[in-house]
Amino acid sequence: MSVIVTENLTRYYKDLCAVDHVDLEVGREIFGLLGPNGAGKSTIVKMLTTLLRPSDGRACVCGHDVVKDAVRVRESISYVPQEMALDIKLTGRENVVLFARLYGVPNARDRTDEALGLLGLADRADELVRGYSGGMRRRLELAQALVHEPRVLFLDEPTLGLDVAAREKIWEHVHALKEKGMTIFMTTHYMDEADRYCDRVAIIDRGKISAIGTPQGLKGEIGRSVVTASVSGEPGAFSLEGVRLLKVDDHELVFMAGDGADALAAISQELKRQGLEIHSLSVRETSLDDVFLQKVGTPEDRSAFDGSKYRLMLRRR
Amino acid sequence: MKSVYEYFLRDLKKWLRGRVFVLTALIMPAAWLVFVGMALPTRFTDNYVGFITPGILVMTMLFSSFQGGSLMIFDKVLGFMNKFLALPSPRESILFGKIAFITFRGLLQATVILALAVLLGVRLPGIAELVFIYLTLGVFGVLGAATATTIALKVDDHDGYAAVNSMISMPLFFASSALMPYRDMPEWLRVLASMNPVSFATDTVRSMFSGTIEIGGIAVLAVLGLIVLGVSTYMFRQATV
Ligand SMILES: Nc1ncnc2c1ncn2[C@@H]1O[C@H](COP(=O)(O)OP(=O)(O)O)[C@@H](O)[C@H]1O
Ligand SMILES: [Mg+2]
Repeated sequence: MSVIVTENLTRYYKDLCAVDHVDLEVGREIFGLLGPNGAGKSTIVKMLTTLLRPSDGRACVCGHDVVKDAVRVRESISYVPQEMALDIKLTGRENVVLFARLYGVPNARDRTDEALGLLGLADRADELVRGYSGGMRRRLELAQALVHEPRVLFLDEPTLGLDVAAREKIWEHVHALKEKGMTIFMTTHYMDEADRYCDRVAIIDRGKISAIGTPQGLKGEIGRSVVTASVSGEPGAFSLEGVRLLKVDDHELVFMAGDGADALAAISQELKRQGLEIHSLSVRETSLDDVFLQKVGTPEDRSAFDGSKYRLMLRRR
Repeated sequence: MKSVYEYFLRDLKKWLRGRVFVLTALIMPAAWLVFVGMALPTRFTDNYVGFITPGILVMTMLFSSFQGGSLMIFDKVLGFMNKFLALPSPRESILFGKIAFITFRGLLQATVILALAVLLGVRLPGIAELVFIYLTLGVFGVLGAATATTIALKVDDHDGYAAVNSMISMPLFFASSALMPYRDMPEWLRVLASMNPVSFATDTVRSMFSGTIEIGGIAVLAVLGLIVLGVSTYMFRQATV
């Protein structure tokens, strides 16, 4: 059964179409929404969490319509917004107990201890949040979201601005939650993370979904390997079986290929045949970045100045 | 309605932990009483401190309520509302929590004023009248806090709210019977003042001080309060970010 379904989900901000007829179906999995800043990821999450009304189309979470059955939706979900919001004058524990009580969970104190323990914050729980690092704050927000047992967890850029170690930790927790049967719907613009941890991803650009599938599947669609050759001389046309010339950049040629080892040999032969001097030749596996470039084009930052990020930076110092 | 208490407690704790704010919140209205009551050159009545004490009490509730709207602005701007609005607890409990805290804080300030007024020679009325004074101030505070919090829900940022705040609370205060008796007002002001909720509250409190329990004013304020609460509740249920 699908946990999240959207049909033609659309949202306008005045004339700007931030989300453009999006169809999604998400089951029990870690589902990642990928895209550059301003692609419409947060807007989708806000509609799914009943914070924004769709301009058109509809969306259901756990079988409940996000507009008509908003309260039922809220009972089934937890949501960690992109912008961190914690009361720094309260302790970590107080921040979590507040949410436990607002969710109306029985034994709020015990559940709080559990959640804090789960996220490795038990020993610092009685300190003011003012003294927490960025990673701890994010984990504290996860603890707030996990004091009740949601069926769906929405995470909007959960690892934004965190260091590598903190990001790993967040992902470990997310993975453990999925093992327990929770659906996790998250957004990120870190392709490598999505590649490693998401069961399925959707790539979104300017409000439109341009690709959807498992990371492996999407990478397979464009070829499993990327071969980069740095040469001098004027390259001619290439017609090698199973190899596609992706782009020519100065004296760098980038190819997509199904099998890296075979392609490497074939390409090197062809380059020599064309009389080009090869300076370097390398092969690597395709990444989601490559998929993104293929499906969308250059990931230039199309968003205007993003006030919320600026504020976030200021607060994190 | 347990969640109302939780929201109330959150604001209370945050307030108490910013000690400086607690102090200034209590001193500011006290300063008004001393400066306006003692130092103002014009005196409309013989016992001016006695006359304006009810006015300053109501003013304290008014300003405190409208200043309280900025709590909602903070919660919005800092992203707390994103979290709260996605919770299963009734959304209007966010509103009621704010009203409870803002009114509670206002009544604390009013108590400081009252104590100071006694030091300045104002005679307290009987216990029944005193209870009614608090009741009037409380109802008026709820009316103000609900209005302010709901306006804040619709305003984008601090600057916008500050503008709305000064545009509403200052005129309401000056166009009321808080500072001068009706008989000394010019005609146009008398008309405005007699329709002003601030005057209803002030007149009621004033009558309590002179020993007559008059509940007409409370009733009007309560009806106004209920209307505003109804509208505000609806707006919180429908709120989007
Ligand atoms: N409240 C708003 N008012 C007007 N435009 C908005 C608002 N929120 C977002 N947008 C615009 O909608 C687009 C999508 O934004 P968003 O969903 O935040 O993208 P993402 O989360 O993928 O970075 C952007 O162009 C952004 O500028
Ligand atoms: Mg976003």
